[in-house]
Amino acid sequence: MRQLQSESPPPPDLAGLLGQVARGDHRAFELAYAELSGPVYGVVRQVLRDPAQSEEVAQEVLLEIWRTASRYDRARGSAAAWALTIAHRRAVDRVRSENACSRREQKAAEPEPAEDDVAETVAATLEHQRVRRCMDGLTGLQRESIKLAYYNGYSYPEVAKLLGVALGTVKTRIRDGLIRMRDCMEVTW
Amino acid sequence: MKAMREDLHVLTGSYALDAISDTEREEFERHLQHCPACEAEVRGMRETAARLALACAVTPPVRMEQQVLAATYRTRQLPPLPADRPRRAMPRLVPRVPRRLAMLAVAASVAAAVALGITQLTAQHQLDQARATAIARVVTASDAHVETARTSAGGSVTVVASVALREAVVSTSGMASLPSSRVYQVWVMSPSGARSAGLMHGSSLLASAVRPGDRIGITVEPADGTARPTTTPVAVLPV
Repeated sequence: MRQLQSESPPPPDLAGLLGQVARGDHRAFELAYAELSGPVYGVVRQVLRDPAQSEEVAQEVLLEIWRTASRYDRARGSAAAWALTIAHRRAVDRVRSENACSRREQKAAEPEPAEDDVAETVAATLEHQRVRRCMDGLTGLQRESIKLAYYNGYSYPEVAKLLGVALGTVKTRIRDGLIRMRDCMEVTW
Repeated sequence: MKAMREDLHVLTGSYALDAISDTEREEFERHLQHCPACEAEVRGMRETAARLALACAVTPPVRMEQQVLAATYRTRQLPPLPADRPRRAMPRLVPRVPRRLAMLAVAASVAAAVALGITQLTAQHQLDQARATAIARVVTASDAHVETARTSAGGSVTVVASVALREAVVSTSGMASLPSSRVYQVWVMSPSGARSAGLMHGSSLLASAVRPGDRIGITVEPADGTARPTTTPVAVLPV
């Protein structure tokens, strides 16, 4: 995303913003917040489902981004991936730290469409279409494994149990599926 | 030993999706320190996972921003890691990408450009709300269909069309800039002729009264535009 060319003004350079945030720049953090709060809240909510709990965890994540911005190293990946890794990990930690019984019964869900904000909706919908198109190119087992692991926050042994397949099979399907998704979405890294 | 390493390597995906236990995570992270290939693979998968997250972005409640911003004033930041810890040189794996995927890449990046372009324009109040809403309505329509093509003027053009709404969003990216006496003009082309959809001043434009079977064309015209195309289109796309 950082490298796209457009005639409109270039998108804010998130990696550069994080550098400023690391030096205590509150204005830069506001700009980074504008870029990241939607995806952070979205992915946390996808995993946790409960809006109130999701809001609490998303706040923790965004504050963590402020706190640890100096640890972001652009040589090791995009700023968005760094931030969203923190977000997903936090959400999963929250799920695992409590026995969320009711949630366990839910089936793998499609990402929910974004709601209020027009631009956010447009961005998320386009990304959603691409993700869905690439998901369609996976085998059923690859697709289910990735959805259950990422969007529902299940561990691979839990995924194996839910799908009734061997542990090794799930590990392999998640890896193969992600490689296919990466190539299909032309992810650069 | 070899069997164990292979077994660990297969965990790259589960690790990137946080689908492993804390114990396994620690073990795998130790393994990563000695396996540049695994580290590179994990990096690509983290980027992929980020795209899964972007696909489900939801605008958080407004109060969250004030709360987080307020909290930053009460929260001490971590210092950078000491610079004397040299980072391992990690060979960058060149992804092997089949050529046929090149167009998908263009489609993806252009679609992202549309999205970002709209975000920025909205943020800068350069795009009035009504038009932003109209564009968003097309792009988010359940029957929205995306077409992308390279143009002979460089760059590419993307058309997102909804038959139900009879509207299409035309966006360009990376096309050659024109002298001030010339402009890119967008046309809705049907068997009965070409009708102007307007001049391309920003990076996107909304074409209305579009019907199935129509095509979208872009030509270079005099600065004020013309009633009919006078040059060969730099791109023509189906709706």
